[in-house]
Amino acid sequence: MFRRKLTALEYMNPDSFNVNDERNLRDLIVWLEDQKIRHYKIEDRGDLKAIDSNDWPTAYKQYLGALNCPINPNDRPAVVDWLLGLSVRFEYGDNAEKYKNETAENVTNRRQSAPKVVNTNPLDALDFQSSEFRDGVNRLAKQLNITPHPDHLITLKAISKLIRTRLSPEALQKPGDVVHQGKPYPIFESDLGFETGDYVLNNAGKALRLMYIHDLRELQTKINECIVAVQTITANPKTDTKLGKVGR
Amino acid sequence: MYRSGTVMVVRQYNEELKYLERLSPSCWRIKKGFQPNMNVEGIFYVNDHLEKLMFEELRNSCRPGTIGGFLPGVKQIANVAALPGIVGKSVGLPDVHSGYGFAIGNMAAFDMDNPKAVVSPGGVGFDINCGVRLLRTNLMESDVSPIKERLAQSMFDHIPVGVGSKGIIPMTARDLEEALEMGMDWSLREGYIWAEDKEHCEEYGRMAQADPAKVSMRAKKRGLPQLGTLGAGNHYAEIQVVDEIFDKWAASKMGIEEKGQVCVMIHSGSRGFGHQVATDALVAMEKAMKRDDIETNDRQLACARIKSAEGQDYLKSMAAAANFAWVNRSSMTFLSRQAFAKQFQLSPDDLDMHVIYDVSHNIAKIEQHWVEGRLRTLLVHRKGSTRAFPPHHPLIPVDYQLTGQPVLIGGTMGTCSYVLTGTEQGMTETFGSTCHGAGRALSRAKSRRNLDYGDVLQRLQEQGISIRVASPKLVMEEAPESYKNVTDVVNTCHAAGISKKCIKLRPIAVIKG
Repeated sequence: MFRRKLTALEYMNPDSFNVNDERNLRDLIVWLEDQKIRHYKIEDRGDLKAIDSNDWPTAYKQYLGALNCPINPNDRPAVVDWLLGLSVRFEYGDNAEKYKNETAENVTNRRQSAPKVVNTNPLDALDFQSSEFRDGVNRLAKQLNITPHPDHLITLKAISKLIRTRLSPEALQKPGDVVHQGKPYPIFESDLGFETGDYVLNNAGKALRLMYIHDLRELQTKINECIVAVQTITANPKTDTKLGKVGR
Repeated sequence: MYRSGTVMVVRQYNEELKYLERLSPSCWRIKKGFQPNMNVEGIFYVNDHLEKLMFEELRNSCRPGTIGGFLPGVKQIANVAALPGIVGKSVGLPDVHSGYGFAIGNMAAFDMDNPKAVVSPGGVGFDINCGVRLLRTNLMESDVSPIKERLAQSMFDHIPVGVGSKGIIPMTARDLEEALEMGMDWSLREGYIWAEDKEHCEEYGRMAQADPAKVSMRAKKRGLPQLGTLGAGNHYAEIQVVDEIFDKWAASKMGIEEKGQVCVMIHSGSRGFGHQVATDALVAMEKAMKRDDIETNDRQLACARIKSAEGQDYLKSMAAAANFAWVNRSSMTFLSRQAFAKQFQLSPDDLDMHVIYDVSHNIAKIEQHWVEGRLRTLLVHRKGSTRAFPPHHPLIPVDYQLTGQPVLIGGTMGTCSYVLTGTEQGMTETFGSTCHGAGRALSRAKSRRNLDYGDVLQRLQEQGISIRVASPKLVMEEAPESYKNVTDVVNTCHAAGISKKCIKLRPIAVIKG
């Protein structure tokens, strides 16, 4: 029943809040005081925050008294509604400039243009084009020894790939198992198979060849794994030396 | 002066020479007119020594009163150039020597889109998918030397050899049908080999167009007991050591790091099975030639249009024989691994006994090649010729994309063997083909007359080579003296640029039929 106000205040689980659950209630009241109402000084919030204490009901009543709450403390739904109302009022007061221009029309427009999916991933809120983000990516790349690409999002892809393949928990524990220990091969001296007449372009061709070979190797390894998996079911090699006969 | 059915222009030796032109120190052209009806020119690769052998053979055939036997290699190359639908050139590799119809060491490509183009069993050979497989180990010569004799005996005990030998892997008629259809996939399913073996095999060890139903009962009866046997003739299994590394990087891609590393080479084919398939096809094709009015310069060049029923049936049964040969080499791979594992008390895995590669040097394959600026689909016949694709070719294993396809060149008993790699130049000049081995210099009969088997065996012993043979009295046929020098052959391919030297191997133990 408090879903709308809880959502407006950006409470963690607006849907699962149950006013009749003592624990839920105490959590919410502490959160409201900490984040929104902030009536007590931080050091005076101790009693109210001790939600496991037997004295909590006393602290609760004192708190309502301090807020001049006109509602009977035992009528909990009414108290919660009043506290949420108070919080919304404070929230509005803090950002009056921002909210006062909001009209129903604005909200509807925004809802239509914005994707309907509710974002729960905090990363989605990041501004990927900000210079701060760009610098961060480049700094990370430098730390990981990755050559930055002019498009920092591509650099980010490379970083992600490196972390997934080389810095995964398994790779860090047993690098030998995950990271293939290849032997160096003088690829730039090898035959490309065609000639573009341009040194740089030839080298780019060689790099592409290598990437293709890498993909092909991965595919072949998977094929081999499939064969081995089937062999565990079908294989039954036999020999019978009695059958053997040496010719003349 | 020649067998009936052979068209032969009778000319003096000096007249013959006018049709041959030197293109480069290692390459000769055979001009049109050398034999009748040549559709394309011929070309052959030689060095000074091999050149002498080639011309001597031609001169001998020009002498009046010569009878019988095969035509000289140059003539055979030219006769192949007269077959319908041939594209590019008829190519003779440095180890070329006379064979049935086609010379051994002759490759020729036919246009799949030309309705008159032919397939010829003589262009594949009787031992269909005869080939070479090389296994590496992580052992060094010093690990093997002390137990060399025991190891050779163990290999000999595991791999039955000789004419009429029978394998030790139990096979039913049904197993054989499945093996013919599945090739190395059968060996994999039954657990005789490793997944990586398939990866490192030409065609991934299976020709998909194989159809066991097109194979005669007679061939199947001959083939059934012979799976997992080495056979006789020039076939062998050898324990070899790396003698020289020419291309360090390519060798390293093959898992060969240093001199003295021990390898196992298996040279074998499709035994009596393939022989019967070829014989059956030749009979069927003689009739088809009459029906379709196909004329050739030599009766031995029996062939049929690729699109005809006889042509298709041959390709399907040839593929079954190819699969037979791969299962055969796979079975011997399994047995060699067992032999090594027993002697060293280590698993084949621990001995790192991986297949480096497996080549087919008697086969016809449908491939795409650039001819005069156009990508064309060809039926490439390689008889005593090995496919040698360049780096980055889509049909070679991922591990060899940078080096080019490994080309395994088996020497003769007691001589060196080589690993080469394919080149771009070979792709354009010889349809990605190179030599296959030493190539015979003396006929079998001549070898038997001129050599003594006791001397041959003693010489091998003096070289420190352990040898196990089923029929010692036939070893002179396979003696190094009966063959061209494999080093000459390989150096010619390297100098001509149609493949590149990578590794040289020398034998320390030989198992032979």
